[in-house]
Amino acid sequence: MSVQLNIHKTHRRYTDGKDIVEVEGKTVGECLSVLIEKYPGMQNVLFNSKGELLNIVEVYVNGESAYPNELARTVRDGDVIYLVFFLAGG
Amino acid sequence: MLTANERERYDRQIMIPEITEAGQEKLKAARVMIAGAGGLGSPIALYLAAAGIGRLRLVDHDQVTLSNLNRQVLHWSDDVGRKKVDSAGEKLRCLNPDIIVESIHATVAESTIDGMLQDIDVLVDAMDNIPSRFVLNKAAIDHRIPFVHGAVAGFEGRAMTVLPGKTACLRCITRGPVQPETYPVIGVAPAMIGVIEATEVIKYLLNLGGLLTNCMLRYDGMTNDFLKLTVKRNPQCEHCAQVYGKE
Repeated sequence: MSVQLNIHKTHRRYTDGKDIVEVEGKTVGECLSVLIEKYPGMQNVLFNSKGELLNIVEVYVNGESAYPNELARTVRDGDVIYLVFFLAGG
Repeated sequence: MLTANERERYDRQIMIPEITEAGQEKLKAARVMIAGAGGLGSPIALYLAAAGIGRLRLVDHDQVTLSNLNRQVLHWSDDVGRKKVDSAGEKLRCLNPDIIVESIHATVAESTIDGMLQDIDVLVDAMDNIPSRFVLNKAAIDHRIPFVHGAVAGFEGRAMTVLPGKTACLRCITRGPVQPETYPVIGVAPAMIGVIEATEVIKYLLNLGGLLTNCMLRYDGMTNDFLKLTVKRNPQCEHCAQVYGKE
């Protein structure tokens, strides 16, 4: 199973500059675990110390919000995950 | 009823078949609050004033600083130190003396927002932090006032429209507030998002086109990509669950 993870530009410094990372997993949570295994720097920009997604992180699967149970959201081969952030400037 | 001067001022948009003089009269009768008179608030206010929104209420608690001027285009070098609502109000009245611009120098907070929203048809988000946006979102839902959200960082931005009781709200799709920070931003990002927000206001008031409801529009100025992401209401949303389906 290959799932495409789209990495926000501010975090590509943790993924060797890659904007897309292909991972395998049956849920969003599994996919993120694989991502962090490969790129440990992503841990602190996605999760707090309790292992919960940061409030500022938004997860979309195939263009649809996965909130509120993002990590349990099932994914299939070919699915596309966007990791985006609650922009806050004005 | 439009005056002869107003017919001439708005001639090019009255020519739009979806607007006409009847639509222009609706814009004239409309009352819109813009929360924030900075990077987003500047283009929102400019274009809504130019379009002839009859009453604009500007709310902001800040004074103009030099570091505002890369993006807050309603404020100019000589305005540094002035209240933003005074600086912005002056320009808007010059642009369009036929509209009423109300300037409120105050902080958007749970304790103040209810009074600010009196007699308002649409609330527009031009804030610079997430906690204030949640205050606006909650108040818009409590008062059943349509709410147009926008936010920016760097070359990016996003926008979404909330129809209380009918569509997903800002709180439906996010886990909760985060601490305010100072975000980097270049002026073209709030310009782009502010114009999108102003467009949403005009379309809502005239019942035209498609709104960004149940949709988060993301814009990346670096790549020129627009991405429409689908969002859905959360039945347990602490802001809107009580009112959903009651409108």
